[in-house]
Amino acid sequence: MKFTKLFAAGATVLIAGSTLAACGGNSNNSSSSSSSSKKTINWMDSAEIPTMDISKATDVTSFNQLGNVEEGLYRLGKNSKVENALATSTKVSNDGKTWTFTLRPSKWSNGDKLTAKDFVYSWRRTVNPKTASQYAYLFEGIHNASKISAGKAPVNSLGIKAVGDDKLVVTLDKRIPYFKLLMGFPLFFPQNQKVVEANGSKYGTSSKTTAFNGPFVQKGWTGSNLSWKLEKNKNYWDKKNVKLNAINYSVQKTPSTAYNLYQSNKLDATILDAQQTKNLKHNAGYTLRDTAATFYIQYNQKRKIFKNENLRKAISMSINRKALANALGGSNTPADSLTSKGVVNHDGKDWSEVVGDKESASYNPTDAKKLYKKALKELGVKSVSFSILSDDTDSGQKTTETLQSQLEENLKGMKVSVSNVPFKTRLNRSTNGNFDMVISGWSADFADPISFVDLFTSKNVNNNGKWSNAQYDKLIADSKTTADTTKRWNDLEKAEKILLNEEGIAPLYYKTEAWLVRPDIKGIVYNGAGLNYNFKSAYVSGN
Amino acid sequence: MARYLLKRIFYMILTLFIVATVTFFLMKSMPGSPYANEAKMTLTQQHIMNEQYGLNKPVWEQYLIYIAGMLHGDFGTSFQYSNQPVASLIGARLGASVQLGLQALILGVVLGVIVGAIAAVKQGTWADSTATVISIIGKSVPNFVLAVLLQYYIGLKLGWFPLAGWGQFSQTIMPTIALSVGPFAETARFIRTSMVDNLSSDYIELGKAKGLSKTEVIRKHAMRNSMIPLVTLIGPYAVALMTGSMVIENIFNIPGIGEQFVKSILTNDYPTIMGITMVYCIGLIVILLITDIVYGLIDPRIRLDESEA
Repeated sequence: MKFTKLFAAGATVLIAGSTLAACGGNSNNSSSSSSSSKKTINWMDSAEIPTMDISKATDVTSFNQLGNVEEGLYRLGKNSKVENALATSTKVSNDGKTWTFTLRPSKWSNGDKLTAKDFVYSWRRTVNPKTASQYAYLFEGIHNASKISAGKAPVNSLGIKAVGDDKLVVTLDKRIPYFKLLMGFPLFFPQNQKVVEANGSKYGTSSKTTAFNGPFVQKGWTGSNLSWKLEKNKNYWDKKNVKLNAINYSVQKTPSTAYNLYQSNKLDATILDAQQTKNLKHNAGYTLRDTAATFYIQYNQKRKIFKNENLRKAISMSINRKALANALGGSNTPADSLTSKGVVNHDGKDWSEVVGDKESASYNPTDAKKLYKKALKELGVKSVSFSILSDDTDSGQKTTETLQSQLEENLKGMKVSVSNVPFKTRLNRSTNGNFDMVISGWSADFADPISFVDLFTSKNVNNNGKWSNAQYDKLIADSKTTADTTKRWNDLEKAEKILLNEEGIAPLYYKTEAWLVRPDIKGIVYNGAGLNYNFKSAYVSGN
Repeated sequence: MARYLLKRIFYMILTLFIVATVTFFLMKSMPGSPYANEAKMTLTQQHIMNEQYGLNKPVWEQYLIYIAGMLHGDFGTSFQYSNQPVASLIGARLGASVQLGLQALILGVVLGVIVGAIAAVKQGTWADSTATVISIIGKSVPNFVLAVLLQYYIGLKLGWFPLAGWGQFSQTIMPTIALSVGPFAETARFIRTSMVDNLSSDYIELGKAKGLSKTEVIRKHAMRNSMIPLVTLIGPYAVALMTGSMVIENIFNIPGIGEQFVKSILTNDYPTIMGITMVYCIGLIVILLITDIVYGLIDPRIRLDESEA
């Protein structure tokens, strides 16, 4: 053994290290010095892209990519306003079951002509059980979709047809009131058959094996790497209205790293954790993003005590939601409705304001105590004890701790135990009804209250507590069939108010993310539901 | 030697097979499905999916299919990353972790040997105390704390190295330093202790009596003998470092394998769990084998064939 060699090796490493120190400072050439005088922005996401295959995507990261590199019949603007994209005109039959779209001439980024057949191909591919799309259920209501997914009808019997290159006819089995919103969701975008088939199982597993038709094209994503780029699509039909030349994306899993990068101008936006939110609240660029997710309590109605409405109300009114939101880290919003804040804007008003229950979802320990006494008398017991089931994540644990102390303090004699388990276990126990009280969360796929209120109809699988109300079920069923939009909105309003008033669930908080976004970046369209970021019209001011 | 090797390889394969079996059945007993959208899918849809992926078959049948695939070099495709073969997923991720682990190991061990040797030779002086304090700090401060401090002061305030990222050598320096602190502290303490022992042994006295210079005595005798037991320490360290550190990878945006493993377990990504477990397992047993062989080569008192005879 030659230790001199080892020493020499050590010295080399040290020298190499210190030499590189000198030139290491600005070696990251993909990011420019500041956001002024540029048409490129540096954006982040919190997770890797799982897939770029429209039929396979299930998560926000994929949808955010797909929404900017692909395009469908419509593109969603501010407040999920439906705007024409590939469709130039839409005709709906009187019964609402036949939709005829006229398409504008457009091209794929590789130069292929995009036709109505690309929509037909895409939809058939998604509902085909062989594709195993986890989102195929959103096609329910389109003629034969459910049967095809279950393998009980041939794929080509799906209610979609291309008439020539520029006409698309869709047949529904029943009216779908939010059909237009769905058409702005990447799942319903077209796919390039030639590219999909040429790549086989590799389709959508890297930038090179994916076809694009949106405002941007993706470059440099290799399947599981942490940085890639969106570049302006030269073949995009509306390229003159796309102002950015490029968006550099990187995956940031540690908020402190992201904030350091933001401070050194290597990132133009960063998500903030609880501590950063407290410290940076008053900084320029502080931005709150509603995520269209609500967290709420489900009471297991198979347990005798939770059949008692007064007890459920007493529990809900003993919860100080503001303190809970604070304990969770500041940027979350106390909730008094199931439909999340920032999802639906109806007649200029946020839907959560319209249906929110100011009484039973507000902190009122005095009334809670009275209701608790009443409940104990009705149940014929001296005290109640139960367990709260939740996730074993940081926020899951903070939630159960806060609820436990608030309930035991406000309702004397109540014994609360907690059980924090991994997400998959929580889901499993919820589905099997193996809980007393569970903290659940739900996020909307599209900007309509039905994506929330549908959950608590008697037969819905996600109604884990088995709360049931015949009038509620009827209102939801009616809202799905009526042709009268005013009646539909009234039904949805009445239904959610019943659910909240009867304390079928107890809303806790709306998940809100805090971000720092470089203030000179304008024109980003953000929607909480479905696809979040639309960068088509984003620009850096001063250019 | 050849016979010994063959025997060892047979046991390695047997170990791998047992690990694969145990992992497979443990993994299948985790609740839930591997579907990311599980919360929103109805039971019927989950049944349809299970049929597509063969997850509706009895567990023993799934096990046989998996083992058969594995023998053909097919580790299946990931659920988290739709359609990505597990082999290429691991391939893309393992490189960064191995590179970082090796760099940290070399840096930590080399510095540890130097500092530990100085401390032993200068036993009882300020140099010894300083070295002890440094190695205790190194042992007790978690590497992610050091990582965050390095990133903030060296990366952001001084701007000497890129804050995060992967691709250039300069980007590996701060994570290497953060990861090397553990092995550095351990090695320094280890070398100091065993060298203090050796320095008082007879053969050192003999060396001195022969008229060798102090440096020669230390370099050729004291150091050499103190280094031998270090080999046992380096083996497991090498595996621990090369299999990646989820926290360090996340702080420095390194596309490593550490986080993938944790995430695959949390999401019930069965093929990825199996794939990474196998890679870890192979890494560990190969390194243990190498350690044993190297041990026999450098220490004349150990002869592999004889111990097996």
